Amino acid sequence: MNAKQMNAKQTTREVIDETGRHVAVPVAVHRIVTLAPNLAEIVYALGAQDRLVGVSNYSDSPPEAKSKPRIGMPTNPNLEAVVAAHPDIVLITTEGNRRETADELARLGIAVYATNPHSVESMLESIEHIGGVIGATAQAESVVANLRQRLNALQSKLASAPVARVFFVVGESPLISLGEHTFIADALRYAGARSVVQAKQDWPQISLEELVRLNPDYLVFASSGFGGEDSTAKQLAELRSEAGWRELAAVREGRVVVVSDEIDLPAPGLIDAIEKLARQLHPNVFEDAAQHASLRPLSASVPAHAHLQFTVSQDSCTEALACAR
Amino acid sequence: MRPLTPRRIAGICALLAGVLFIVVVFSLQVGAYPISVRDVAMTLVRGALGHWNSIPSSDRLIVFGLRLPRIALGILVGAALSVSGASFQALLRNPLADPYVLGVSSGAALGAILALVWLQRFPWAMQGLAFLGALATIAAVYFLGRRKGQLDSATLLLAGIITASFLSAIIMFLMTTVSGRDMRGMAFWLMGDLGTAPAIGLGFLFFILLIGIGAIYTTSSDLNLILTGEQEAHHLGVNVPRVKLVVYASASLLTGLAVSVSGAIGYVGLLVPHVMRMLFGSDYRVLIPASAIGGAIAVALADTLARTVVAPTELPVGAVTAAIGAPVFIYLLRRRLA
Amino acid sequence: MSTQGIPAPNAGRDAAADWMQNPVRLLVEQASYAYSASDRDAPDFTLGPVTFSARQREVVGILGPNASGKSTLLRLLSGEFKPLSGRVELDGKPPSQLPLRERAQRIAMVHQESALTFPLRVWEYVLQGRYPYGRRLRFENEADCLMAENALAQVGAKALLDRRMDQLSGGEGQRVILARALAQQPLLLLLDEPTQHLDIGGKVELMRRLRKLAEGNRYTVVVVTHELNLAAEFFDSIVLVQRGKCLASGKPADVYRRELLEQAFETELDVEMNASGKPRVILRGGEETEIAEDSAETPKESQ
Repeated sequence: MNAKQMNAKQTTREVIDETGRHVAVPVAVHRIVTLAPNLAEIVYALGAQDRLVGVSNYSDSPPEAKSKPRIGMPTNPNLEAVVAAHPDIVLITTEGNRRETADELARLGIAVYATNPHSVESMLESIEHIGGVIGATAQAESVVANLRQRLNALQSKLASAPVARVFFVVGESPLISLGEHTFIADALRYAGARSVVQAKQDWPQISLEELVRLNPDYLVFASSGFGGEDSTAKQLAELRSEAGWRELAAVREGRVVVVSDEIDLPAPGLIDAIEKLARQLHPNVFEDAAQHASLRPLSASVPAHAHLQFTVSQDSCTEALACAR
Repeated sequence: MRPLTPRRIAGICALLAGVLFIVVVFSLQVGAYPISVRDVAMTLVRGALGHWNSIPSSDRLIVFGLRLPRIALGILVGAALSVSGASFQALLRNPLADPYVLGVSSGAALGAILALVWLQRFPWAMQGLAFLGALATIAAVYFLGRRKGQLDSATLLLAGIITASFLSAIIMFLMTTVSGRDMRGMAFWLMGDLGTAPAIGLGFLFFILLIGIGAIYTTSSDLNLILTGEQEAHHLGVNVPRVKLVVYASASLLTGLAVSVSGAIGYVGLLVPHVMRMLFGSDYRVLIPASAIGGAIAVALADTLARTVVAPTELPVGAVTAAIGAPVFIYLLRRRLA
Repeated sequence: MSTQGIPAPNAGRDAAADWMQNPVRLLVEQASYAYSASDRDAPDFTLGPVTFSARQREVVGILGPNASGKSTLLRLLSGEFKPLSGRVELDGKPPSQLPLRERAQRIAMVHQESALTFPLRVWEYVLQGRYPYGRRLRFENEADCLMAENALAQVGAKALLDRRMDQLSGGEGQRVILARALAQQPLLLLLDEPTQHLDIGGKVELMRRLRKLAEGNRYTVVVVTHELNLAAEFFDSIVLVQRGKCLASGKPADVYRRELLEQAFETELDVEMNASGKPRVILRGGEETEIAEDSAETPKESQ
């Protein structure tokens, strides 16, 4: 038992983290280390960035996080660097960190709190838990309330829109999509979409034939693999030239979306990504009232059911106009 | 004519131990957490004298909690892999043999991935099942590798390669069913990782290491003779079947041990014996201890590089041994051909 | 069949006295062996029964066509095989029942040269011959080194001491292998076709050396060979085998009878005596002719 542990005994409380481990968390947390990018983002969202003394590599969101001291990759953090930061608590996640890292840190007498985000809802709960652990309960409540409200607003907007059948392309060759239990699959639901792939594995490999059979309404690409968010047009052009892909209705009609990587990050930025995605999948629902008179050109012909929505949502556009004034 | 004497062996071991000592001191001193050499020395001395309370807590944590165990583990794994590699090179009479050629690491990998898939809740499941996988593979390859009741080198090699290949296929299949987070742990294991403390105490592991190396050492004269031919060795009085069994079992156990605690670190078992041969000759009475210490030096150094070269990012130690090992291998190859 | 080297009862007291001073060291009596593919199958190959004996300072040759059982017989002598019937004894003890190290102290086998996995120096190689003495894990002492040097000197290879094994010529390698066997200080020296890769000069030199070694070191030497004439010239007795059967054993002059040799080797040949009273085999060249069962010609034979 080292000195740190001896001192800590008087000033800690026991909590159970999201993986069921019992953690002795200091009552006063002044120094925080995060071992995954989403956790750094959450700490910033909770306004506790001044107490953040170490982040994992590639913690770039928000951009201010780039200036924080790096302590290595999530899968293999430099334990010495973590110890050198003298953290009161280390935040880890099951999505990105290894169990062995948690065990090692615990062995060294450092408090480790593990989150286990498997859905959008659990992510929101994680934010609350983290807020409680680091002593930012009030901020956590307000952040989560705000995010929930945005999600609810989104839900009501999309209530009448049909669920878009989406094929999420994780990798093009081999062709890999998402399983039902993945985080992104859950996020898609909030964006008024549904992944057409039904698989228990996290990253199932799908044949092109199967893709053609599924005939999704939309193809969604994660931006990091496909050249950034502004590359939709380029992506579409490429697909139109490829055999098999060009037969898909989604490609022919230009219903291809590139979404930001935030869609896979269990952090507040996720909600931004969901909103953006929703806009791209259901453009008619979100049309600006001022533009409702002119037909905003879509990159190709408009799907049949969109006409209906156009008429139905005119009222909501008028409403929005009224609120905007 | 200069026959090998125990004194010469002791001298070589002392020399290598000296190099190892320097490497250990160097490794203790480098790392993300800045401690001066003086402080490291003070910490070591105080620790040795038992004055634990006089050492600053973070120094103690870094030196005794992080660096020393990691270096010790590297020494253990390096010694085990090198002795095992040298042994298999003699057993199979093949200079390209390495500790993994008989499939032990594939069995351990299968055990590890099964632990990942089924026994996630248990902290030491991966190491435990890896070792069990190694044992099962050792037994299976033994039974497959026999001819007329005793181990036959060619049959053994074939049995090992086929077993490894079969196990790899199963592992690949399992990896497609495994989730993303588990893949990460598996990938780490496959690349070699000295950062995780072993489930069983280091002291006990070193004890097993010494027993394994000792058992092989008692056959070192026999191995010298077997290397000139099994028939020839038999006619000189070597109990060839028994020697082969002892060497096979001990070397495989050493490999299983190393791989369970650190994953599959490559190139060490293959190359360290060759380098030691170049320096000190092919006599196994000196090659076994030289390989043990040489391997310890190699892995300790490689791991230190792995954790400091692009700090704070840590490279997998297997990547460093491969990066250094491959050019060394090419160099050795050219020398032999030239 | 001719006699086995044990003097006939009526040979006189001199012969008996001589026999006491030079007793039979190697005794093979009705020894047989059989190979089969598995325990349940019928034997694929049977050797024996074979009977012969040899004393100190004698060189015995085992001759016969290919696959006649020569190597099997050698392995019976080395103790690798245990005779299925009959007995093989070296100084009264069956080699197959001796512990391996004791066996290696009495019997040395000279093999063909085989490729070494790792480079070895000549002196290291020869020193390995001392392995049977002392503990299993032992370090060679001065006496061992002297014996190794001596062994090399006896084969005329002292100059090769520091050379690497893979840099030796065929003949040099052969000598070093022989030296290692000599370093074992055996009673019985066994060689399996040692002249295969040697030229004529090398073959004669080897035979001479074996003769000298047998005399000087009081070995019993048994050589499996194809060299009919060299064997007749240098060896004390011959054991002729064909298809697992021992056709004859005894002095070369007794064994080298035309019909026996023609039967063994299934080829036409002549046997004549040379100046020193030793037989010489001459192959008949030309067209194939059937071996005459009863030839009208009188064979040129001694005695």
